[in-house]
Amino acid sequence: MAHGLDFESVVARYYEPLYQFAFSLTRAEADACDLTQQTFYVWATKGHQLRDPAKVKTWLFTTLHRGFLESYRRQTRFPQQDLESVGDELPAISSPLANQLDSTQVLRALAQVDEVYQAPVALFYLEDCSYKEIAEILAIPMGTVKSRIARGIAQLQKLLADDFSTPEWTRPEPSE
Amino acid sequence: MVYRPGTADATDPEFVEALAVARQDPELHRWFEEHCATHRAIRTRFKEIAAPDGLKGQILSEFKMRRAMVWWKTPIEIAAVAALILILIGAVLWFRPESEAPEGVNFATFRGRMVAAVLRNYRMTLETADAREVRAHLAQNNAPANYTVPASLERLPLVGCGLLSWQDKPVSMLCFRSGKPLEPFQKSDVFLFVVDEKAMPDPPHAKAPEIRAVKKFVTASWTADGKIYVLATEGDEALIRSYL
Repeated sequence: MAHGLDFESVVARYYEPLYQFAFSLTRAEADACDLTQQTFYVWATKGHQLRDPAKVKTWLFTTLHRGFLESYRRQTRFPQQDLESVGDELPAISSPLANQLDSTQVLRALAQVDEVYQAPVALFYLEDCSYKEIAEILAIPMGTVKSRIARGIAQLQKLLADDFSTPEWTRPEPSE
Repeated sequence: MVYRPGTADATDPEFVEALAVARQDPELHRWFEEHCATHRAIRTRFKEIAAPDGLKGQILSEFKMRRAMVWWKTPIEIAAVAALILILIGAVLWFRPESEAPEGVNFATFRGRMVAAVLRNYRMTLETADAREVRAHLAQNNAPANYTVPASLERLPLVGCGLLSWQDKPVSMLCFRSGKPLEPFQKSDVFLFVVDEKAMPDPPHAKAPEIRAVKKFVTASWTADGKIYVLATEGDEALIRSYL
């Protein structure tokens, strides 16, 4: 393995955050496991090509995201929007309500966020990556990362707030 | 940008000024605290996503299995392995002596290696028709220089000499021209190799030259005055005897 990084230590360090990211995107355990395993398989076969050991984390998240795009994403192109329109999309959920949430509710809401925002928002909340790293992982400019995160969070928090104001029997079922 | 409490965002220049303002403005401060609390709550939900038991073990066991099978995983790798095997076989055949003698430190191997050397792109270290220059050059490089060139061979034009080695022993290579047309890349076509007799456990007979075909060459080998000689050229026995 490249740079003295043995496979087992890389797996031990990153398999959980990668799985969390994969599950945030797919919301299906089997798919998230597949993506995580596939990512480490690619690492095992191509990781030696990585010259900078400090980039391992970004490399793994990038590989996982690419795997997700290849396998799961709809073949749609999403228009980019300007940052200026974000201002009126303010957070819509209070912290006491947020504390009553569970993971299933959060991921169900994330699934309803515009697809182009889902990966940035997941990476944002998982906090394993800086804005710069998120831009590298998603292969988009920093400004686009910022705008997508801002819009995605606004959508997510609004959906969560709506979730509380909607009777439970009318809430949408998870897609899986 | 959206601030993430408890991360490096706190030292990010893009946030530092805004954070300072938020601390001074009570209303903004309340909003900021609410933002941080909401963020922590949602973040906690994300971080609660637990990888299934056994996922790590599954990844590691698949790695071990695939590592064992990796050579046979793709057609490209199979082709690469096949090519490597062919190269190794070719190398073995190329350097193998023509005789029945086993590979090792013996005269047959030496003779085969010398012929192989001139079949490949050999290099003369000195190009000159002056026999004295050749001897001086070889002596200067600790290669055998007090050799005796057969009289018939000496009549061929000398082209130069080269330095080879056998089992860490220096070998002198004298290059002559037979007068036959040469290929564009050729500079000589008759070669005399000289090595110290002590370098060989089974030197050829002293008096009667041993004639032997080696690849497309014919060779004549003999021992004289503590030196082993191998004369090699393309042709037949009659031709090589004409040089002795």
